Amino acid sequence: MTEVYVIGIGMTEFGKHPDRTAADLGAEAVRGAIHDAGIDPRAIETAYAGHVFQPMVTGQQVLAQVGLAGIPLANVENACSSGSTAIRGSFIDLLAGVADVSLAFGTEHLTGAFKGAFTPGEDDPEAAVGATMPAVYAMRARRYMEEFGLTREQLARISVKNKRNAALNPLAHFKKDVTIDDVLMAKPIAEPFGLLDCSPVSDGAAAVVLATGDWVRRHGEQSRAIRLRASALRTGKVETAPSSMTFEELTRDTANDAYEAAGVGPEDIDFAEVHDCFTIAEVLRIEGLGLWEQGTYPAAVERGEADLGGRLPVNPSGGLLGKGHPLAATGVAQVVELVKQLRGDAGSRQIDGARVGIAHCRGGKAAGVEGAACTVQILTT
Amino acid sequence: MTTAVSFRPRDLVVNEDGTGHLVGSRCPTCGAHYFPTRQVCAGCLTEDLETIPLPTTGTLYTYTVVHRSTPAFETPYVLGYVDLPGPVRVMGQIDAEPDDVEIGMTVELEIVPWGTDEEGTPLLGYRFAPGGER
Repeated sequence: MTEVYVIGIGMTEFGKHPDRTAADLGAEAVRGAIHDAGIDPRAIETAYAGHVFQPMVTGQQVLAQVGLAGIPLANVENACSSGSTAIRGSFIDLLAGVADVSLAFGTEHLTGAFKGAFTPGEDDPEAAVGATMPAVYAMRARRYMEEFGLTREQLARISVKNKRNAALNPLAHFKKDVTIDDVLMAKPIAEPFGLLDCSPVSDGAAAVVLATGDWVRRHGEQSRAIRLRASALRTGKVETAPSSMTFEELTRDTANDAYEAAGVGPEDIDFAEVHDCFTIAEVLRIEGLGLWEQGTYPAAVERGEADLGGRLPVNPSGGLLGKGHPLAATGVAQVVELVKQLRGDAGSRQIDGARVGIAHCRGGKAAGVEGAACTVQILTT
Repeated sequence: MTTAVSFRPRDLVVNEDGTGHLVGSRCPTCGAHYFPTRQVCAGCLTEDLETIPLPTTGTLYTYTVVHRSTPAFETPYVLGYVDLPGPVRVMGQIDAEPDDVEIGMTVELEIVPWGTDEEGTPLLGYRFAPGGER
């Protein structure tokens, strides 16, 4: 079986970049990943580019800027899972023997493309009656409160935790701690959410270079290489009857694919980067991944178990709530954080003894479908 | 005056007397219900689904009060998921003050004015209002 390693990572600062473009942010991240890998860029044989609201062939524009022309590249759109789906493209190329070295990146200039609340696709029957993404998650939060006694303060603690981690991440959009009161007093978006329960509109890009185990051994780059054990992708099922909105079967099923491929289980995971587009989302992801039992994660956060020094740190990078959420860059940035932690390069937010990390992304919404695309990746030292 | 028409004729039928219903699909093989209509049953892959009027009374599964939305909607408004007999879950605005809304309440479909189309023809949409016989 071919082994796949991440040999290089690159990322721009996430935030508002009014004078940049998706192509130019993407090129910065790709150059960073190539320099980090310490390879001749001509070693890269295939590439995948994730982006959502950007011009067509943004991926080729990035390649042109870094001088990588001629190689096969596919642009990938899978909503918020676009970047992680791009990584899966590279992963499969290596497993299939199509390439020994492949590049995956995600880039998004979102402040130039979008303002205000996100909605599902324009023709969606739910968008037609007033659905926004915050509203859909707010309804899941309300139901979770009803079923499990979740409190408003417990939700706020997730935002506080992730923004505290982001304050330790020089590339994060938010660089300031917030208090529970700040979260509770923020202007209302969709009840129970205020502004600080929602991930911000951010620009940014992230990139990774993957290589096969044989290539890594031939080129003596092993010391900083981090093994990518599994890269699972699923699409949401059409519901044949109303289902629970407080447990994510799609996340569970995608995670089970990844656990099986990686030969690890939830009990082996040391830390997690999950798709916390809203505070409740972190709860639903973590419980879907099987890292905590359904209904128990909010109290665990309250006890500090998901903090940097806790039993299982969640979103050490700051997550989407703190690091920012440039849609297609997000899934790649999660893997960038996993690699930093597993290399022991995460500085003041380093998790002691981090050996197995999991990244979860989930994106898109369509009426009658439980989420559009979900990815789970597992990396180990 | 131009007669008002359904804002989404495939999803919402409005009768001359101002009543109406949502349009769904029912699988003749396994009985699954869907909204909006679809061609293939996601459960058993039967291809000839029936188009049916959906029941107009259901139970509120969850809700939120939306304070920020797209320019098409005036805020705040209450938005909810309603489980109709079938069962099938439908999203709609809830025609009630936020303090009067609670999970599990019975709600009934109502036809309401929904702005105009590009030519100025008045449109009719739907909301759910508290009440109704289950």
